[in-house]
Amino acid sequence: MSSSPRPPRIGTWLMESVLPPTDRGAAVLGDLHEEFVSRASRGLHRARIWYVREALGVAVRYVGQSQNYQRGRSRLDVDGRGTWEGFMDAVVMNVRFAVRRLAKSPMFTMVAITSLGLGIGANTAMFSLVNAVIIRDQPFEDPAALMDIYEAGEGFSHGTLSYPDYVDIKEGSTDVFEDAGGMQLVLLQMDAENGVEMVPAEAVTGNYFSILGIHAALGRLFTAADDVARGAHPVVVLGHGYWTRRFGSDPLIVGSELRIAGRPYTVIGVAPKDFAGTVRGVEPVAFVPITMYDELQGMGGNTLEARGNQSFFAKARLRPGATAAQAEAVADRTSASLREAYPTYWQQTKAFVLVPTAEVIMNPMVDRVLVPAASMIMVVVGLVLLIACANLASFLLARAADRRKEIAVRLAIGAQRRTLVGQLLTESILLSMLGGLAGVALAVQSLRALVAADLPLPLPVTLDLSLDPVVLGFSLFVSVAAGVLFGLAPALQSANADVASTLRDESAGGGRARGAALRNLLVVGQVAVSVVLLVGAGLFLRSLEASRDIDPGFGSAPTAILKITIPADRYSESEGLVYLTSLTERIGLLSGVEAVGIIDNLHLEQLNTQNARVMVDGIDPPAGSDFHRVDFATADEGFFAAAGIPVIAGRGFDPSDRPDTERVVLVNEEFTRRFLPGASAVGRSIVVNDEAVQVIGVTADHKVRQLGEAPRPFVYLNRNDSYWASVTLLARTTDDADRLALDMMVAARALDPEIMVVQTTTMRRHLAVVLLGRELGAMVVGGFALLALLLASIGLYGVVSFAVARRAKEVGIRLSLGADPRSVVRMLTGAGMKLVALGGAIGLVVAAAVARLLSSLLYGIPPLDPVTFVGVPVVLGLVALAASWIPAHRATRIDPVSALRAE
Amino acid sequence: MGREGYLGEFEQMLLLAVLRLEEDAYGVRLMDELEARVGRRVSRGSVYVTLDRLEEKGWLASEMSDARPERGGRPRRIVSITPEGLDALRKSRAALLNLWAGLEGALDLP
Repeated sequence: MSSSPRPPRIGTWLMESVLPPTDRGAAVLGDLHEEFVSRASRGLHRARIWYVREALGVAVRYVGQSQNYQRGRSRLDVDGRGTWEGFMDAVVMNVRFAVRRLAKSPMFTMVAITSLGLGIGANTAMFSLVNAVIIRDQPFEDPAALMDIYEAGEGFSHGTLSYPDYVDIKEGSTDVFEDAGGMQLVLLQMDAENGVEMVPAEAVTGNYFSILGIHAALGRLFTAADDVARGAHPVVVLGHGYWTRRFGSDPLIVGSELRIAGRPYTVIGVAPKDFAGTVRGVEPVAFVPITMYDELQGMGGNTLEARGNQSFFAKARLRPGATAAQAEAVADRTSASLREAYPTYWQQTKAFVLVPTAEVIMNPMVDRVLVPAASMIMVVVGLVLLIACANLASFLLARAADRRKEIAVRLAIGAQRRTLVGQLLTESILLSMLGGLAGVALAVQSLRALVAADLPLPLPVTLDLSLDPVVLGFSLFVSVAAGVLFGLAPALQSANADVASTLRDESAGGGRARGAALRNLLVVGQVAVSVVLLVGAGLFLRSLEASRDIDPGFGSAPTAILKITIPADRYSESEGLVYLTSLTERIGLLSGVEAVGIIDNLHLEQLNTQNARVMVDGIDPPAGSDFHRVDFATADEGFFAAAGIPVIAGRGFDPSDRPDTERVVLVNEEFTRRFLPGASAVGRSIVVNDEAVQVIGVTADHKVRQLGEAPRPFVYLNRNDSYWASVTLLARTTDDADRLALDMMVAARALDPEIMVVQTTTMRRHLAVVLLGRELGAMVVGGFALLALLLASIGLYGVVSFAVARRAKEVGIRLSLGADPRSVVRMLTGAGMKLVALGGAIGLVVAAAVARLLSSLLYGIPPLDPVTFVGVPVVLGLVALAASWIPAHRATRIDPVSALRAE
Repeated sequence: MGREGYLGEFEQMLLLAVLRLEEDAYGVRLMDELEARVGRRVSRGSVYVTLDRLEEKGWLASEMSDARPERGGRPRRIVSITPEGLDALRKSRAALLNLWAGLEGALDLP
């Protein structure tokens, strides 16, 4: 069944929106479907076109029908005159007439539809994206009573909590909060048809769903009884999407078992369709009790008791009558007592922060970037739509001027003004609707491409990118309004004009078309807006280029990356070390591999930063603290070679550095500059995490958190001193890194088929994540700026062509009197370029102001970057020159005799 | 009934096609039948709208079949003529035959 071709959805949608929602309506759709299927066997493409055309016909017919019912006239006049049917006949006739007229000037029609289509398409696609990320409401019950709980501290204003912190605030706030709960994100190792897959899930408290007011689509959701003892609740609630995708919405799924992380879990229910977790963009495939978190992570340890592990997203529901201010007072009280009880974790700056859930999009810290970025994109696409509408306006003004004579003639021989207006109106609306249709098609395609694009995102992101009816309606409204305003108004004006004088005026041939001034103004505006967009795009591109040139200080050679977790329930620390040693040996034997190394947390990891408490004799810690916070990682002896980080003084780690010998660390150059100035750092003793260690080597500097950062001090602890079950293996190769990454995974599974493979990737992709934001920004703004330039050029081309046509007679006279064709081209081109120069100048001034606003988003270039501000006018000038030269050049081919004889 | 219950041309054509198709009278087949017999592709929208009208006048009755996969999981609307519909056809036929009678010569027909 699924192999039979599906009719185009736009057609089905069109009919569904007009047909009565009864069996009769369904039967009509069924008829079309049946015929479509039989036609599709003879040619899918033609069948699709046929389907849309038929759907349009049926829809038009039924619109008349339903209107008629609404008027309470159930019996139709068979005659059809003076009735709705009669009106519909007139509409059908007008549409036919308009189609014929539009078909007569295919270039005009194509250009107008393309312009509008691009503008509406860009808007619809981007708004749908923004809607999916930001606007769409979460399906929470009484959302006004929900509060997000965060922690603020040094360097972060809205961080997640540790589980013990959550328990403390929950217990300390029962007088203001009805209940508090939350979740941690977790990657599940789920058995699938081909081996296992790692899928994102939420490990939630038992009361999570009841606090949010989410009800099961099938079976039941968790209760407090599912969240009692560690490791004792192997039950799972499936996300609706995953249930649909992987299990074909199997209604009998409840009660069946899934193997997750090597253990059977019973499916107890399915979450509702509109609930895709509480972190936007990260759609959990399943929900598990938080008491299973450690077992699922496979890392051993006890997250639920670790106050240092801050990854719990907490939400609470206010008691009826309790206010946010009361809740804040309670949170402050709890913060104060925690600062007293746990000074190691709760520095003086740390405190709980409450934010109403309804005010949060992803996280207040992320929102601060997200909202301006989204607004910027919407402004950009809005400008593109503006330019597109200006194009349409300009074309329709030109046409209206063209048709003044036709209209005057028709009025003179007795046409009714009403009929004329109906025809003009139909033509404008038809044109804008076709543009709208093209735009929707474009938006659907680009959203599909976006979903399919293999972006190097740090997390698997799933967004519901369905077209948004609101923006669709808005875009259609804008286009129709533009069509009516600019198409009908001038035509009406000429229809009202004095017939005799219009006829006389036109025959004289010298009539200055009304609207020419307006069209010139439109071109000036278009050029100005294009310049602003182009400058923005130029700045982003230059800034991207500058970031690309940054040397992260590691990973320049092709390197494969494998992230694994060694299940702590089956491996003791020494067994885990044995496993890792044999795995590194195996990987070292793979062809092309030059170096293999291990680190717990690779630099420039977007979601993870960790820091150590460092004390150095003679260097005072910052005020209010007993130590310095320094980023660190735990690496083995092979890491520096594998990552390409040179050890510039002393030595790297060595197998002889055992836990029983003196503990040793490496530091980077910036660390020595900051903390160990003067004499050689090698051999000096410092305190890291309350333990005295010896510095045995110094590495070159490298980026730690961000590409754009100033050098940061860094400490490498020795892997032999501390075991971590979750590690990142790096293998530098002379060969293809993508293939090596897969070979590494095969090697890891060959040693133990149930090892948890978290990720296989390459250094190139790992570094691409860091640039992703800039790259997307440059791509989006750049793409739309080019679109704007294209549209503005089309507008300019149209204006110059029209001027040429209008001045054909004048050009004919000039040429027949012996004017040099080149001077004629110069004259006509020059008129167009004057408009461009004016628009360009205005645009540059505005762009300079905009650039200052953007300066915080730029890297490595000044806001008034000379390359951009010189390059853009040059490019624009060349494009504009071409757009006005082509039609101007055509003027020289005018035959003087026929030009003079005309009219 | 409008105009003393005489049928319009299109209504007549549709009713006759329904009669011819017997058990098999639904949208797709009706359009094929009309095209085959009249030699003209009729507008789909008009067919449905007219079917609705004829049913409202009580000349047609319709019945929904089960949903079918080859129709995208949608039913067929199978229409049949009611006794009143047959009456109307008879009346129209008689009226038209009376009017046609004896005009073969004027139309150069055998």
